[in-house]
Amino acid sequence: MLHGGPGSYGVTAPRILIVDDDPNLLVILAEQLSADGYDVQTARDGDEALRRLAASWPDLLIIDMLMPRMDGLTLAREVKARADLPIIVLSAIDTADSKADLLDEVAEDYVTKPYHYPELRARVTRVMRRLGDRVPRQRLELGANLALELHRREAIVAGATVSLTPTESRLLYALAANLGQTVTTETLLARGWADTENADPSYVWVTMRRLRQKVEVDANKPVHLLTVRGIGYRLASAATAREP
Amino acid sequence: MSFRTRLTLALLTSALVPVVGFGVVALLVAGTGSDPAGSTLTRVLLLAVAVAVVFAVLLAAVLAADLSGPLRAIARSVERASAGDPSVELELPGDDELSRLAESHNRLARDLVRRNRELRRILEILESTTLGEPVDALVSRAAREACGAFGMIDCGLLLVDPREIPTEAPTPGEPVPVRSTLVAAGEVLGVAVGHLPATRRWDRADQDLFELFAIEISAAIRNAQLYAHVESQNRRLVELDEAKDDFLRGISHNLQTPLASIRGYAQQLAAESPDRRLGIITEQTDRLSRMVRQLLAVSRIESGALRPRQEVFAPAPRVRRTWEALGAADVAFTLEDRSAGWLAVADPDQLDQVLWAVLDNAVGYGGRTPVQALVATDGPGGRVTITVEDGGAGIAEADRERLFRRFARGAERPTGEGSGLGLYVSRELCRAMGGELELAPAGRAGTGAAFTISLPGEAPEES
Repeated sequence: MLHGGPGSYGVTAPRILIVDDDPNLLVILAEQLSADGYDVQTARDGDEALRRLAASWPDLLIIDMLMPRMDGLTLAREVKARADLPIIVLSAIDTADSKADLLDEVAEDYVTKPYHYPELRARVTRVMRRLGDRVPRQRLELGANLALELHRREAIVAGATVSLTPTESRLLYALAANLGQTVTTETLLARGWADTENADPSYVWVTMRRLRQKVEVDANKPVHLLTVRGIGYRLASAATAREP
Repeated sequence: MSFRTRLTLALLTSALVPVVGFGVVALLVAGTGSDPAGSTLTRVLLLAVAVAVVFAVLLAAVLAADLSGPLRAIARSVERASAGDPSVELELPGDDELSRLAESHNRLARDLVRRNRELRRILEILESTTLGEPVDALVSRAAREACGAFGMIDCGLLLVDPREIPTEAPTPGEPVPVRSTLVAAGEVLGVAVGHLPATRRWDRADQDLFELFAIEISAAIRNAQLYAHVESQNRRLVELDEAKDDFLRGISHNLQTPLASIRGYAQQLAAESPDRRLGIITEQTDRLSRMVRQLLAVSRIESGALRPRQEVFAPAPRVRRTWEALGAADVAFTLEDRSAGWLAVADPDQLDQVLWAVLDNAVGYGGRTPVQALVATDGPGGRVTITVEDGGAGIAEADRERLFRRFARGAERPTGEGSGLGLYVSRELCRAMGGELELAPAGRAGTGAAFTISLPGEAPEES
């Protein structure tokens, strides 16, 4: 695992490596991100990207899905096999595509082409911020009836696999990073809806209600997803759940 | 009257009639004289006849029992065999007709046992066929097992025209050829051939059993062939589907990537020095990009591959944002939010596509009349609705049904722009999200078309 390695973010400008076979897009995107204070490097294909990674690690990768020779999915897998670098996939396909699920496994987020720069920037910020929430990539056991596999966007509830939406898994990500502690509604709102204008606390309330229906055996008697009225929410493992 | 009784009577008759006849004649002759010697002779004769009768009766009974005993044993054995237990053999030593009858019976019973065994193994072969077993594997396995079941030297199931396999004539001292055509549902599949040891008998019943096997295994082979055919077609369809997905993905990529640079540069230029024309470039790239996505959506709808995400969001801001992206600055727009904070549970990207199509429609067909959008909730129904209304001529009665079909286009749209897919795609997207897209009934004259999008909703309550 790489974190704390070269270019540790926060001290110097966060470093982003963009991989896209379209030179025009590389130039414009690099200019846009540089203007926002990122240290940007570019690569035209997967091989070049891997060569650059051999020299130094960025803090984030933005990868085009469809590239000649090595496609974005393959590259993302190669990268993840070497280090847990956050990846945003840029692609012309959308969430309904059959390959979107595969992306879920390797990419932290994705943005559809043609991207709207403010939205892309918001996602970059969000993925960077989430670096603080270290959630293990493996399965997180919370008791007999609940386990989370957030890197796959799945919860295992009483033995059955339940798929989570990107927002739901982001909220669980934030809660799991602070297991047993209360996370404020505002924090959850910022984690879940960084790229949404006018996001309202009700987004968190409703999403948590729906999430509870998914991950609790009895949504009316929650054991894991607990409301701290007026403040926020708390994720508890079954052992700590009984504590007040 | 039993066989034994009849036999006894027959023996008695044949033994007693001469004795009794002789006795009666002797008595008549002796009765004509009246000397004492004659009467003594008469008594002796009567005693002799009586003794002879007793002996004859006993002898007849013993003989009859000796003769009918084996017959009864055979009868019992046949009864057992017909009741399903032919395994016990009859022991009748000697070389007489009864022994031969017993031997015939034993042979019959042995054949019965053997054919039962063969039939059981055939049934086992047929039972062990599993769905999805490759035809080749089934054929070679069935041939191997048939070989064992029928006690053949070799056996093959050949899936060729039977005329290609010449019929062999049996030669004494050589292995006996066996053959049956493989037919299923009136279609000749091939031929089953094999050889038996030269010493082995092959009767009509054996041939019948072999043909029964051929019929049953033909049906199994035919099923395996059909299954393999369906499987390969399924694989082909999946491949085609994947190829189509790849193709569309490529097209989409090749169209969207240049649009992304165009849009990016236009926005960068606009940031440096604002220019209305750059705004138009951005809007038009968005339009083009949305049409590409619409075409992708059509393909997904057709293959049933729409997989909407369920995100929670307030619909009104998205309506405003989509309107702004449409770039219809010359058309008046009002947005009223009466949703009381209710949130939609839907796929935001898909809803954007729907909103864009419906708003674009309102601008295109409304003749630049003001467009009104109303976001509301039906409360207990748990739904959120977005109604978009223009002030145009409305939808002609004839067009109302046609409107949601593919490539449908209202007659009034003057410029001929639009793909004719917008409302079709939008309705399908709404339905995939658990919602609906409807055209409000024609209202009073002077009001235009009103489309209502309804989606699953949630109340904004802390929980």
